[in-house]
Amino acid sequence: MFRETTINEIACSQARADAASSFVMDEDSFRAFYQRTARGLWAYLTRVTGDRELAQDLLQEAFYRFLRASAAYESEEHRRHSLYRIATNLACDARRRTLRHADAGLTGNEIERLPSTEDASSTERKADFARAMTRLKPRERAILWMAYAEGASHREIAEVLGLRAASLKPMLFRARRKLAGLLGRGPTGGQR
Amino acid sequence: MKPVECEFEAEVLAAVLQSRWPEHVDAGLRAHAAGCTICADVAAIAAAIDEDRAHMRADAILPDSGRMWWQAQMRARREAATAAGRPITAAQVIALACAMAFLGACFGATSSWFQSTLKQMGSAVAGIKIQALVPFAPKMAAGIVAGHTLLLLAMAGLVLLAPAAVYFAVLRD
Repeated sequence: MFRETTINEIACSQARADAASSFVMDEDSFRAFYQRTARGLWAYLTRVTGDRELAQDLLQEAFYRFLRASAAYESEEHRRHSLYRIATNLACDARRRTLRHADAGLTGNEIERLPSTEDASSTERKADFARAMTRLKPRERAILWMAYAEGASHREIAEVLGLRAASLKPMLFRARRKLAGLLGRGPTGGQR
Repeated sequence: MKPVECEFEAEVLAAVLQSRWPEHVDAGLRAHAAGCTICADVAAIAAAIDEDRAHMRADAILPDSGRMWWQAQMRARREAATAAGRPITAAQVIALACAMAFLGACFGATSSWFQSTLKQMGSAVAGIKIQALVPFAPKMAAGIVAGHTLLLLAMAGLVLLAPAAVYFAVLRD
């Protein structure tokens, strides 16, 4: 049956065509960028949120928003920090929505998922570390991860987390002290 | 004021990340770290985080980059189509409202009966004597139907079709 094309359909098909071309990068560039950053970003989100499934959802959302952002990036670093900033904001929003994640301890899932082939001490260390991280505030986790896992400078961390660079040093110091204590390598280590 | 950073911090961090800590570093740096809270914390934290990072990266099960791209494209298209359709739907609703208003205005302008009834109603409402209007109700209805059958049919049709039109416009989105 012949069906006339409506104004709505013309506008929508035009919009669909425009949508694809509005991404900040083409498919090949995106795939290469994704390969370089996705694992690191997933690890960051998992440690900040304390939830693997949520981290995966946020990862997908972060990449989508990154693609839709009409920003011009000066360099690979700038692009990466922008992605981390989006992811951090998403993690904050998710935390506000479900505050229970913030206080949740290490989930049973996380321990069960550890590969069985690894030696016991490594497994225990991982579990200890994960447990210690969940006892930090999300912002502290993010600061420590950015500084020591991502190797970001103070300025970069401040930019990603939306903090003042001047206030980052004492925050990093306190977070480090706290984690060292929780891991039993600092003054409060015996209190675990 | 308590110091929050140390000049050897970066050196300790580099040694840890390059797996040189503690055996393959200068004895002076080791001795410093033993007495410096900041460097001791950096050594402990950086090693733990680095190890965890390596495990996490290895454990990560992520969607394929091609799938991510395809899903992003689909979602962008869907959102763009919804956004594009929204003003058109609004325009259709406004056009319908205008048509209804125009028909109503035609009816009001061409009907002397309507105008006189309007005056009567105005005075009746001013007096708040609702009971007085009730006996005239059947006569009013008969007058409307007899004098403006076509117009009323058109309005009734519009009233019935409008929700359906809006529904289909929204459904298309």
